[in-house]
Amino acid sequence: MKSQRIGYFIFFVWVALLALSPFIANNYIVKVSTFLAMYAAIALSWNFIGGYAGYPSFATAAFVGLGSYSGAILQNAGIPMLMAWFFAAVIVVIFAAGVGRIILKMKGHYFAIGSIAMVDVLSHTASSWASMTGGGEGLNVKIMEGGPDFAGMVFLYTMLAIMLAAFITTVIVDRNRLGFGLRCIQQNEDAADMLGVNVMRYKLIAFVLSSVFCGLIGAAYASWVAYISPIDAFSILLTLKAAVMVLLGGAGMIFGPIVGSAALVIFEELIWSKFLDLHHGLFGLVIVLLIFFLPNGLLKIKWRRSSRESGDNS
Amino acid sequence: MYSQILLNGLMLGAIYACIAVGFSLVWGVLNVINMIHGAFIILGGYITFFAWLHFKIHPFMMILPVAVLMFGLGYILQRGMINKVISKPVLTTLTLTFGLEMILYNAMNLVFSATPRRIALDMGSLKLGELLLSVDRIASMVLALTLTGLLYLVLRTSKIGRAIVAVRMDRDAASLMGINVKEIYAITFGIGAFMAGACGALVAVVFPISTSLTGVFLGKAFVICVIGGLGTVPGALVGGLTLGVIESFAGYWLGPQNAILIGFILMLVLLVVRPTGIIGKKGYE
Amino acid sequence: MKLFSSIVLFRTAKALLGVAVVSTFMLGAASAQTIKIGTPLALTGGLADEGKKQVIAYDMWLNRVNAAGGIDVGGKKMKVELVRYDYQTSEQRAQQLAERLIVEDKVDFLLAPFGSGHTKVVAGVAERYGVPVVATSASSESIFNQGYKNLFGVLAPNTGSITNLLTLIGQSQPNVKRIAILGREDVFPKAMATTMNELAIKAGYQVQSMEFYPVSTLDLATPISKIKALKPDWIYITGYSKDLILARKQMADLNVTAPVVTMITGPVYKEFIDALGKQAENVTSASWWHHSAQLTGDDPWGSTKAFYDEFVAREKQDPDYVHAASAAALVALQKAIEKAKTLDKTKVREALATLDIKTFYGPIKFGPNGMNTAITGLPIIQVQNGQPVPLFPQAVQKGTLRVFK
Repeated sequence: MKSQRIGYFIFFVWVALLALSPFIANNYIVKVSTFLAMYAAIALSWNFIGGYAGYPSFATAAFVGLGSYSGAILQNAGIPMLMAWFFAAVIVVIFAAGVGRIILKMKGHYFAIGSIAMVDVLSHTASSWASMTGGGEGLNVKIMEGGPDFAGMVFLYTMLAIMLAAFITTVIVDRNRLGFGLRCIQQNEDAADMLGVNVMRYKLIAFVLSSVFCGLIGAAYASWVAYISPIDAFSILLTLKAAVMVLLGGAGMIFGPIVGSAALVIFEELIWSKFLDLHHGLFGLVIVLLIFFLPNGLLKIKWRRSSRESGDNS
Repeated sequence: MYSQILLNGLMLGAIYACIAVGFSLVWGVLNVINMIHGAFIILGGYITFFAWLHFKIHPFMMILPVAVLMFGLGYILQRGMINKVISKPVLTTLTLTFGLEMILYNAMNLVFSATPRRIALDMGSLKLGELLLSVDRIASMVLALTLTGLLYLVLRTSKIGRAIVAVRMDRDAASLMGINVKEIYAITFGIGAFMAGACGALVAVVFPISTSLTGVFLGKAFVICVIGGLGTVPGALVGGLTLGVIESFAGYWLGPQNAILIGFILMLVLLVVRPTGIIGKKGYE
Repeated sequence: MKLFSSIVLFRTAKALLGVAVVSTFMLGAASAQTIKIGTPLALTGGLADEGKKQVIAYDMWLNRVNAAGGIDVGGKKMKVELVRYDYQTSEQRAQQLAERLIVEDKVDFLLAPFGSGHTKVVAGVAERYGVPVVATSASSESIFNQGYKNLFGVLAPNTGSITNLLTLIGQSQPNVKRIAILGREDVFPKAMATTMNELAIKAGYQVQSMEFYPVSTLDLATPISKIKALKPDWIYITGYSKDLILARKQMADLNVTAPVVTMITGPVYKEFIDALGKQAENVTSASWWHHSAQLTGDDPWGSTKAFYDEFVAREKQDPDYVHAASAAALVALQKAIEKAKTLDKTKVREALATLDIKTFYGPIKFGPNGMNTAITGLPIIQVQNGQPVPLFPQAVQKGTLRVFK
C-alpha cells in the first residue's frame, strides 16, 4: 500500500504542477499541459475497456468525435457552453450503451473491427449529413471571449477536471468488484461467467465508462478550437495513441495511463520540433522499441518484480 | 445502365479482392492484424511506377519481381520482429505493425514524395454491346483473379499450403503434428506481402497512388475481410466482389457520398449477425 | 515496493525535467534582430505534395528579401527568419503549432497552412493573440466566415473564377446549356461545386445533377456512369489532383465526354498533366494566376516575368498559382510592415487591412472579411498540347477554346 500512496502523492504533485502552469510558465506550456491532461484522460478512458477488460476497443475516436459534433451543434443552437458539453456527454453515453450492447457480444479481433467500423460510420455520416454537420466544410463554433490567457486557463482546468474525474473513477473501479470482475473477464471470460460474474453488464459498464470522458473531451475540444471537420474529429490515430499510451505505462493499472500519456506527449514534443522530416518514423520507432523492450508497460514490469520480492499483493 | 453499374462493381471488386486477400490470410492464420498491409501495397505500386518511369518496364512485367521482393521483406519482418510477439494479445501485434507502418510511411515519403503518380498505359476500352470495359481494368481484374486463384491452388494442393491451412485451423494441433509453426507464420506473412506487392503493381495502373492512400487501402481490406470471411481466399474474393458491387449500386441509388458508408454499415451488420462473414469458417475470435 | 516507488519517482521527475528543459530552452531562444514569420507546413500526411510547393515559394522570397538586406521597418532594415514546422496535415497539430509559434518562438506574424480547415484552426488561435495571419491558398468564403479580424487571404474568392469561366463558355459556346456537377466533399472543392451550381443557374444554365463524393473514394465509375446517361453539354468536376486524375481516366474508360469538360483545379498542376498524358488534353480549369501575365509591381521581383524566370531556372518547370500565391502572401506581409513602419502587430494588421498594392502576382487589396477582392482577371486555362494555356481574360489569352468532339 505504501507504493500506492507514493504514487498518489506524485500524481497530485503532477496535477498541481499542471494546474499552476498558467502562473509559472508561458501559454505554450499551458497548452502542452492541457494536452497532457487531455491525453491522460483519454488514456484513462481507454484503460477501462482495453486495460481492465482486455477488449481492444478503437471506439475512442468515435466517442471523441461524436462528443465534438454534439457539443458544437448544441452550442450553435444556442445552448450555453457548459451545458452543451454535458448534453454531448449524455449523447455519447447513450450511443455507447446502444452500440456496446451489440458489439460487445463479439470478441477479440471482431470486436476491434466493430469498434473501428463505428468510427468510420460516424465519420462518413458526419461527412454526408451536411445539413446537420456542415459536411466536408466542417462546423464553426463561436470562439470563446476573453483573450488567450483566459481561454488557455479555462480549457486547461476543463481538461484537468475531466482527467481527475476519470482518474477517480478508475480508482473506484479498480478497488471495486467491477474492477475485479473485469480482470476476471480478461483472464477467462467463460470461467468468469460461470463464477457468476455478470459478464455482459460489466463489459457494458466498462465500455460506457470508456466513452463518457471522451465525449466530454470532444465537446470541450470543439469549443477550444472553434472549428471541427469530419476527418480530423474522427481520427483513428487518436485511438491508437490511446492504446499505445496505456501499453507504455501499464494496462489495467491506475497510474499506467498517466505515466504513459505523459511520456508520449513529452516525447512527441521533443522530437517533433527537432526532426521535421523524420518525426513520423521516429514515433513509429518508439512504438516498435516499446513493444520489444517494454511489452507490459513501464509500471507493470517493476511492479511484478517488486511484488514477487516483497511477497504482497498491493 | 444496371449492367454497366454491375460490371463497374465487379471490376472494382476484383481489385478489392486482391487488396484484401493477403491481409485476410495473415489475419486468419497468424491472428495478426497487419497494419503495414496498406503501405506494402503502395510500396509495390511505387516500385512498379519508377521501374516504368526510369527503365520503361511494363507494369505487368513487374508484378512478379515486385511481389517476390515484398515476399522477402515480409518474411524478414515476420521472422525478425513480429514473431517475437506473436503470442501476445491482439493489441500488441497491432500496435507493433502500426509502428512499423509509420516507419515505412516516413521512408516512402522521403524517398518517393507524396505526389500522386499514375502509370498511364492508355489501353482504351472494349465495347461489348452496350457495355464498356476499360482494357487496363479488365487486364488488372484478370491478373488479380489469376493471382488469387493461384494462391488458392497453392493453399489447397501444395504441402506448404496445407500446412498453412492446418495452422489456421488449429495451431497447437498443427505443431503437435510436426509442423514448424514459426516457419509457417513467416511464410504466410511473406505471402501476404507478396500479394500486397502484386496488387500494388496492378493498382498503380488503375488508380493514381500516393502515400496518403495507405490508410484507405487498409480500411478497405478490413471491411472486405469481415464481409467475406477471414483467412480464406474465397472469402476475400467474395468479400471484395460484394463490396465492389454494393458500393457501385449504393453510389447509384443513394449518391456517391453514401456509397462508402453503406459498405461500413454492411460490415457492422455482418459483424453482429454473422461475424464469420459470408463464406466464413470459424476464424479466430 | 521500494523499487516501484523509486521507479515511478524517477520516471515522473524525468518527465518534469523534460518539460522544464524544453521550456527553458525554448524560452531562452529569443532573437531580437530578425523578423520572425511562422510557416506551418504540411510535410507529411494528405497534403504533403501541396506543402512542398509552399516551401519552394517561401524560400525564393526569403532569399531575395534577405539578399537585399531585409525588410525596411521604419528606416531600419531587418532580416527575416521563417520558422517552420510540419503540422502533419492534422488539425490538432495545426492548432498546437500555431500556439507554439506565437508563444514559444515568438513569431511576429503567421502564414496559414495549406488546408482550408487547418487555416481556420490556426486563424482561431491567432485571433486570440491578435497575430496577423496571411493565407496563401484559401479562396472559399467559408474559411473567412468566422468574423476574425486577423485573417487575410491573397487568393481571390471562388466566385471570381467561376464568373469568368461562365463568361468564357457563354461567349464561345452558346450551344452549351446543360451542366452536370460532381464535387468532393471537402471545404474547397465543395465550395467550387456549390458556387458553380448557384452561378450557373443564374446565368441560365440547366444544372442536371450535383453530387458529392466522399474524401476516401477510390472509384468514381458510378457517378460518372450516371453523368453519362444525362448527356450533358458540360461536365464540371472538383477535387484534389488524385481525384481528378482518377475521374478523367474513368471518363475515358466509360467513354464519357461532353463538349466542355472542366476540372478544378487539377489541370493547372503539372502532376495532373504528367499523370494523364494525352487524356489531359482539352480539359479546362480555373486558376488564380498564370505565369504569362504581364504584371509589374512593387515587390522583390518586380514583374511576373522575373518571378517566372527565377522559378524555371530553379525548378525546371513552370510555376502554378500555388507557388505564386505563397510568395505573394509574404509580399503582402512585407509591404504591410513597410507601410506600418513597425512590427507592432496591431499596426501591421491595420496596414494589411488598408493595403492596396500591385505585385507580380496581381493587385492585393483585402475586403472586409479579409479576402483579396482586387483581382478580377482570374485566368481560365485549357490543356493544349500538354501545357496549360490561358484562354481568358484577354490580358493573358494565348489560345482559343477547343471542344471535345
